[in-house]
Amino acid sequence: MIIIDGVSKSFNGFHAVKDFSLAVGPGEIFGLVGPNGAGKTTTIKMMTGLLSPDKGKILLVNHDIVSEPTKAKSVLGYVPDKAFLYEKLTLKEFMFFVSAIHNVSRSGALSRIESLFDTFGIRDMEDELIEGLSRGLRQRLVFCAALVHDPKVLLIDEPFTGLDAFGVRTLGEIMGRLSLKGVSVLLATHSLHLAEDLCHRIGFIRGGTLVSINEKEEIKGMEGGLEGLFMRLGR
Amino acid sequence: MFSLFLRQKILMLRNSFTLGGLMRRLPFILLGAGLWLLLYFGTCRVLSFLRVTGTFGEILSEKLLSLVLSGVAVFLLISTVITSLSSFYLSRDIPFLRARPVETGDILKLKSFESVLLSSWTAALFTMPVFVAYGASYRAPALYYAVSSLSFLLLILIAGGMGMTAAHLLTRVFPAKRSREFLLGLGLLLFLVFYFAIKSSLPEGYASPQEFLKTFTLFKTDAPLFPGYWVTKTLLPAIKGRTPDVLYMTLLFGGSALFLFTADVAGRRLYCRNVEKIGPSRDGRGPLPERSYPRPGVAVFFKDIRVFFRDTGQWPQIFIIGALVAVYIYNFKSMPLRALMGLYPFAKEVLVIVNLFMAGLVLTAMAARFLFTSVSLEGRAFWVIRSAPLSSRRFLWSKFLYGFVPLTAIVTVLVSVTNYLLKVDGPILLLSEGTALLLSVSVCGLGAGLGAAFPKFEYENIASVAVGMAAMTFMLIALGLVTVTLSAGAWGYYTYAAKIRAGGFHTAESIPIALCLLFVLLINAAAFYLPMRAGIKKLRTMQF
Repeated sequence: MIIIDGVSKSFNGFHAVKDFSLAVGPGEIFGLVGPNGAGKTTTIKMMTGLLSPDKGKILLVNHDIVSEPTKAKSVLGYVPDKAFLYEKLTLKEFMFFVSAIHNVSRSGALSRIESLFDTFGIRDMEDELIEGLSRGLRQRLVFCAALVHDPKVLLIDEPFTGLDAFGVRTLGEIMGRLSLKGVSVLLATHSLHLAEDLCHRIGFIRGGTLVSINEKEEIKGMEGGLEGLFMRLGR
Repeated sequence: MFSLFLRQKILMLRNSFTLGGLMRRLPFILLGAGLWLLLYFGTCRVLSFLRVTGTFGEILSEKLLSLVLSGVAVFLLISTVITSLSSFYLSRDIPFLRARPVETGDILKLKSFESVLLSSWTAALFTMPVFVAYGASYRAPALYYAVSSLSFLLLILIAGGMGMTAAHLLTRVFPAKRSREFLLGLGLLLFLVFYFAIKSSLPEGYASPQEFLKTFTLFKTDAPLFPGYWVTKTLLPAIKGRTPDVLYMTLLFGGSALFLFTADVAGRRLYCRNVEKIGPSRDGRGPLPERSYPRPGVAVFFKDIRVFFRDTGQWPQIFIIGALVAVYIYNFKSMPLRALMGLYPFAKEVLVIVNLFMAGLVLTAMAARFLFTSVSLEGRAFWVIRSAPLSSRRFLWSKFLYGFVPLTAIVTVLVSVTNYLLKVDGPILLLSEGTALLLSVSVCGLGAGLGAAFPKFEYENIASVAVGMAAMTFMLIALGLVTVTLSAGAWGYYTYAAKIRAGGFHTAESIPIALCLLFVLLINAAAFYLPMRAGIKKLRTMQF
């Protein structure tokens, strides 16, 4: 469950996010779309604790990200838009590290890592250094790291960057499974057709303000679908 | 095309000259100017000392010039190989240049120019005061300055040609990055060999300056096949107003043409193939055993250790520290302690304090490089830490331990070995070991804390973080702490020891000494606690 209540953030007088409120229920996949610089990444960064909101409240499974950051982050999985990694670690070492700082037990982590590596098709390169990975393979690893501790909330910023068709399909299937398990997913993306396929609801953000929220079926009934809506609201 | 690239480089250089940038670099500019003047006046002083001894002095001054030029030639060669590896193969603009309709020959020309310029400017800058000092000492005519400039330029071109050829050949066999780091280590090893060779060939405790000079004349600097020798042989007649030897001038011109040609041929034949080899590669490691799964409390610590040993870019700095420690201990070993003890009864104690101060300098320098930078070392991957349920306190403590354990080990070994060489025992031994440990805790805490309070996650090379303004501030505070701690400790010990030697020490007299010790403990505790607290607070509230 994600609750964002009246959140604002500005940088040197520029209002990146203004009075943003949203609730994403358990098992819901919520898509956040909008033009470049609309405030999607800033909103997600505030939800992860990378940025602190100037005002408002963000609750992840009832834990406030500002006043209870450790508890809130323990239920959170995060995939950033530009994922820089520890280049000199192997994939498995990186996963060990991420699991350990999320307090996952050794036995739990080992089976979970193996299963995630199999799902994302990177098992055969688990002992290679990250520095040798392509962009798409890195993105798959970042997904593994975001899911290793069984999060209750998943925040994904531009999830399809660098992924091939296999990766996109796998990701779609995983999001479906996570949704069935009750995980709240919020994804910010420019891939409108994928957002239309995967998300239960889609919000449109412009100038830091959430200007509309529509159900998937509602959008399908609109002229031009999500792309048409984007063109109308994005101007 | 070459002029176009050159113009772009000049524009980049011009844009980097800002008032802020100049102010940031001001301490280094002043340091460089000071070093330049020191070299000039130092050479003048040495020459005035040598040349009063007639023919013998002339031989010595020629030997000195030959020795300097031999050293500079070796430096130029190693420096060009390292710079060429970076410039030709590791530079970020290589993919950009290769994706444009640019001839390989033009890329080679640009990179050759860049390599020779970048590898030689420091050598040229700091050899200049030596040449000028020689000119001033010999009252050389204007011809000497022209000949010295020209012959040094030719020496740079010879070393450049050799270095670039070596870089192309090395990259054919080894990865460019590995070659560069290996050469940095090799350069340092050569310096150590050179240093110890000279030190061991000089007798310890010279009876007279003449004995020193006599030993110095035994150094063999004549190597007819070595370009440094050709420059010496060209300069020596010119300095006395005679026409330079045509043979050596021809060798310099011919050598530079030959080696630049060789570099061009090697580049044309090997460059494209070498660059293609650099593409993405998979570096596999052995399977990771399950028992290596870290406990949450030490996960960051073990990750840092692993990354440190895999990042070969960190190794040259370890070599530098190793070399400094070796030179430091060697100098203590050859200290004439007995003679000093005869001059001053507290000589041993003074040497212990000096030793602790030197260890404090080493500790501060290492803490600046490894502890101050430890939080910044996360780089742009810091999001992994920031979005994880890991408290800032635990994270910073991990960083503290990552530097504290090895640095304390090095400082303890350094102080213990030098104490052993100085034959220190009794309370002063315990006091010096305790002070070294206390300073290790406080300086490491200061470094980790201030590094967290002023992190820099965007950098080209982590070593650049250790020379920024914040790091300089850390070093000044740390050196102040070392000085105050040692001064207070020395005062306390001196008061105690003087009373004992005078024949009596009363309990009432221990109060100021106890207060002094308390003061030392308090300032060290504050130096540890306050920056660590500031660092934790910054990490907690940081916007990333």
